[in-house]
Amino acid sequence: MAADKPTETPAAAEKKPEETKTAKPAALGEDDEFEDFPVEDWPENETEAAAQGESSKHLWEESWDDDDTSDDFSQQLKAELQKVEAGKRK
Amino acid sequence: MNELFEDFAKARQARNGYELAQTLSPVPPADKPHRLLRVSQSTNSHSVKGDIKHYIKTSVSHRGKLSQDALTGWVEVYAAYWKAIEEILAGEHGQSSWTKVYEAWRDLTSMLVRGYNNFGFEAWTIPSLYMVGKYLRLFAIKADAEPKRRTPAHQGFMLIGDDFDPDAERQSQLRDAEQHLKRIFSLCLTDRAPLEESRKWGIYFVVNLLFKTYFKLGSASMSKTILTSLAAYEQRGDLPPLASFPKSQRVTFRYYQGVLFFLEENYANAEERLTEAWQMCAHGAKENLERILMYLIPCRLLTSHMLPSQQLLAPFPRLQKLFDPLTRYIRQGDLRSFDQELQKGEDEFVRHRIYLTLERGRDVAMRNLLRKVFIAGGFEESADASAPPQRRTRIPLDEFQAAISMGSGAQTTDPDEGLMKGYIARERGMMVLSKKGAFPGTGV
Repeated sequence: MAADKPTETPAAAEKKPEETKTAKPAALGEDDEFEDFPVEDWPENETEAAAQGESSKHLWEESWDDDDTSDDFSQQLKAELQKVEAGKRK
Repeated sequence: MNELFEDFAKARQARNGYELAQTLSPVPPADKPHRLLRVSQSTNSHSVKGDIKHYIKTSVSHRGKLSQDALTGWVEVYAAYWKAIEEILAGEHGQSSWTKVYEAWRDLTSMLVRGYNNFGFEAWTIPSLYMVGKYLRLFAIKADAEPKRRTPAHQGFMLIGDDFDPDAERQSQLRDAEQHLKRIFSLCLTDRAPLEESRKWGIYFVVNLLFKTYFKLGSASMSKTILTSLAAYEQRGDLPPLASFPKSQRVTFRYYQGVLFFLEENYANAEERLTEAWQMCAHGAKENLERILMYLIPCRLLTSHMLPSQQLLAPFPRLQKLFDPLTRYIRQGDLRSFDQELQKGEDEFVRHRIYLTLERGRDVAMRNLLRKVFIAGGFEESADASAPPQRRTRIPLDEFQAAISMGSGAQTTDPDEGLMKGYIARERGMMVLSKKGAFPGTGV
């Protein structure tokens, strides 16, 4: 019963179930499990906040765009609105 | 085996818990790949306790004393460790099973816990609880994944038992491990020693192990009990502040706390915890940063209608694939493409439990669409030329309807309070928007 035997080492047990993931659909949120950090602690200057520094202002943006009316969708919308307008004039 | 106890004695002398924990690792150190084998071969099941006692006494002798109690306790611990190593090595040759490894490791865990309860193990040694607890969970998961041989009696039970729960059966070892981790949790939390020498310093490591276990068991909500106990101790100032713990423990704790709030749809609290986790996370820990963002992005979409920038997503190709198109369609107000994109990623979104939250991003997309119609409506003609131009705030419903129908057959509905200010006057076929800030926070 070779399948019953732990042929992997404990070091392998530590690895996340990446290899099994393709074999079966992963359980709910399985890959959301937080990994152990290789070290217990790190100085402030090695944090993500420090690495981002000034540029952290550009990480999040407003959820709307203004001037960009050149995309396909905006063009299509314009055309639709013109149709409504034209319908009213009749 | 004497090199193991040389390390033990050195760690004791330096009172270095992490070095001590290394002597209880089921993985040999990189520079001593054959350590497990040597430990295994240096004794046998018949004389293991006597040998260990001898080794400990010899190595400790010239480095300060070890009390009789502590000696007894550590002999039991290392004897259990030796047995677990035997199973691990046998397993590498196909002569054991993960279940047996788990059981041996569980015995080791019990012995270690007993050391604190009965043999006066000192608080500086708690990293050994981390080591043992961490692998207890991993071995339990391995054991649960292993095909089980069913005894005939067992099959009989399966046929008769109405209340047989295949899920409970499937993760029985992990459930068992949870019980032991809970014991370590109490061992740390209820320690009454002064803070400098308290096992309370072990609490967040163990709590994080429990969180991982509950999430794996699919019962994340059980983490609540843990948080309640923690809060009680915190309130009466009976727990060191989280800020005095190592960052790895703080980030992990904040991540799980954030996800728990997220699952309860308490997005404001979730955002706060996840943001802290993100900021404090080690810059190089890309995978953990990605996990944090997986929840922080939907969170911020709901709390403050903010979207991730290209710059934020760039280092994370997987997140880019999931969120980039979706955020683009929200921005454009393209409902049809938004719906399609949401469907496309449904499996993955559901798996991360963010689908329902993202779905609410449709309101933001809708707001943007109507906002475009509003802007396209231009300005009212004003009698007073000196007055600032006023946008047309009475929009024919036909126009909104036409815009919405481009994406779906949906009807124009009353605007969402936070996103739009106005009302529908159906009898007049008009949407009447507020003259001041029809779309709050978006500049019009």
